[in-house]
Amino acid sequence: MNTLTTFLNLLIFPGGLFLLIISTVYEWVDRKLVARYQNRVGPRWFQPVADIVKLLAKEEIIPNGVRAELFIGLPAVALAAILASALYTPMFGLQPAFSFRGDLIVVLYLLSAMTLSLGLAGANTIDRFSLIGATRTLTQLFSYEAPFLLALLGPAIVAGTWQINEINAYTGTHLWILITQPVGFLVALIGLMGKLELPPFDAPEAETEIVSGALTEYSGRGLALFRIGKDIELVIGLTLISTFYLGGLSNPLWFVLKTGVLLVVVAGLQSLFARLRIDQTVGLWWRIGALLALFQLLAIIVLRLVL
Amino acid sequence: MNHKPSADEKFIIPIGPQHPALKEPGHFEFSVDGEIVTGATVRLGYAHRGIEKATEERSWQQNAYILERICGICSHIHATAYTIGVERLAGVTISPRANTIRTLVAELERVHSHMLWWGVAAHEGGFDTLFMYTWRDRETIMDILENLSGNRVNYSANLLGGVKFDIDQKQVDMIRKGIDFLEERTHYYYQVITTDETFLGRTENIGTMTREQAESLGSVGPTARASGVERDIRVNAPYAAYTDFLIKMITDTAGDLKARFVVRLKELFESYRLIREMLDNLPEGELVVRVPRRIPEGETISRVEAPRGELFYYLASKGGDKPERIKVRTPTLPNWSSVLSVIVGHKLADVPMMLVGIDPCFSCNDRMITLQRKDNSDVWTWAKLRQYGIDYYK
Repeated sequence: MNTLTTFLNLLIFPGGLFLLIISTVYEWVDRKLVARYQNRVGPRWFQPVADIVKLLAKEEIIPNGVRAELFIGLPAVALAAILASALYTPMFGLQPAFSFRGDLIVVLYLLSAMTLSLGLAGANTIDRFSLIGATRTLTQLFSYEAPFLLALLGPAIVAGTWQINEINAYTGTHLWILITQPVGFLVALIGLMGKLELPPFDAPEAETEIVSGALTEYSGRGLALFRIGKDIELVIGLTLISTFYLGGLSNPLWFVLKTGVLLVVVAGLQSLFARLRIDQTVGLWWRIGALLALFQLLAIIVLRLVL
Repeated sequence: MNHKPSADEKFIIPIGPQHPALKEPGHFEFSVDGEIVTGATVRLGYAHRGIEKATEERSWQQNAYILERICGICSHIHATAYTIGVERLAGVTISPRANTIRTLVAELERVHSHMLWWGVAAHEGGFDTLFMYTWRDRETIMDILENLSGNRVNYSANLLGGVKFDIDQKQVDMIRKGIDFLEERTHYYYQVITTDETFLGRTENIGTMTREQAESLGSVGPTARASGVERDIRVNAPYAAYTDFLIKMITDTAGDLKARFVVRLKELFESYRLIREMLDNLPEGELVVRVPRRIPEGETISRVEAPRGELFYYLASKGGDKPERIKVRTPTLPNWSSVLSVIVGHKLADVPMMLVGIDPCFSCNDRMITLQRKDNSDVWTWAKLRQYGIDYYK
């Protein structure tokens, strides 16, 4: 019986099938919102599914000069890492499937594994656009990762635990942390956009410069897996931020509402700015983002000691 | 595969002939050191259509149409340069009304071209919202042009000896309404490009070209004017109705990408003013005067200010019903050198915006190909030329 539940958890909910479905829905909402903000019509509701089906059905071309096993393996590793991290988050407002002390760190690590795989996939090929894209992806990783981590540690320290499940329970019964730690919320949200390489942080895949960045050489299955991975990462990121900053997720309704509102904000931010150059991105994070997050963290620690 | 680069080998980023940043084919090679561009070369000629040669086989009247199709964005100005030249050769003076309508369409075209440009430039900088908004508003001017001429792109407004269509009161009102709307929007965009932090981060102090550089590289149009060079044919050597309706030259001293945006947007305000003035004082007169089928022997130069800068036509006639020679120099050609010399030392991310910064039009300038002859023979046989073409595109 226990094995069966585990399998259900992995394959149906919250892992596997459920994530696939909800990630396409969120991708569609994101694309549609950005399109409407930009005065375009936007895609039809089944477009993300159609894109993925089309990519999966296509031939996967393995270019010359790559290590084939890495080329094929990295998308799978990336997707696996993302799927695994979903098991520890209160997906759809329900209890996480698995939980242990310090799973926050594991989730953050798994989310970074996705970006790392992306960078490695780019560096694996000899394509010049991919190489530049990979360099930028990894450069960007080093710039937003620390502030993003610090921003998520803030609520964890307040809650006194590094277990996502317990943080969820804490934030559900206390004042929204968004009100007490607005800076952390901002850093976390923008950090998520950097993680997902959404505009204006899309320098690693700036199409007018380096075509498609690290994924230039990918087609068919590999590209589809990376895309699914990114879509799921968006859902997980939104779930984490609403768990930590928007008063926790106790039921599916709150999940849809809170992550939905966040998605509207993220889509708005995507359409507001011109793309940042990679040096501007790094500068922004280390000069402003990291300092703000660090300052906030110090303030929390000092306050906890004083009170 | 398994290629070991040597120390002096450069890492070259190829842009084109097919690349998302390019809307037309061109080939650029940027050698980079990390993100910094250390060298740039350009190879053009992918959209060569042999139009200059084709004009020698067509009558003077037919050529107005083929020359209009040199450029899809500034089509009217090509036909204008040509008809002004032919009319001068034929010794014909066209009526003030035809002249004013010709100029009016040229200014409307400038509005549409500049709006198209800054939309594309914003897209190259990753600012797609500005791109979409601009192009939505640009539809106003396209509708006006379609209403006037029946076409959105190649208006065929010009005839030898005049213009093809008149403008009635209803159309005057429609243009006024459209211009009012666009002026309001342009004020808004002006505010965006001069105050938006992320956008300024991509344009301010990027691609700065000094006045000396602009002059020595022979830049033309808004590119030169953004560097403080006072070069505008509408002011320096007025043609068509610009002798009656005076335009103010817009210059800026900064010389960077932002200055090019500022110059072009400020030019639009001048265009709006001029369009209104022309609509208020539309002179009376015949639309067309007769131009002889055979143009008297002679040669002339016709210069006009296209949206991208000085457009230069050389026309030669041997007295027949076909031209002896037509030479066109489009503004993009002299502007290329400014990009390629200024681009070194900039970041790779600035390359697309700087390329687009001069408002390039590839197929316009692909009119001449320099053949590098391996032997020093000056005359190529048809068979040899054909073989060269086959090898070139193989």
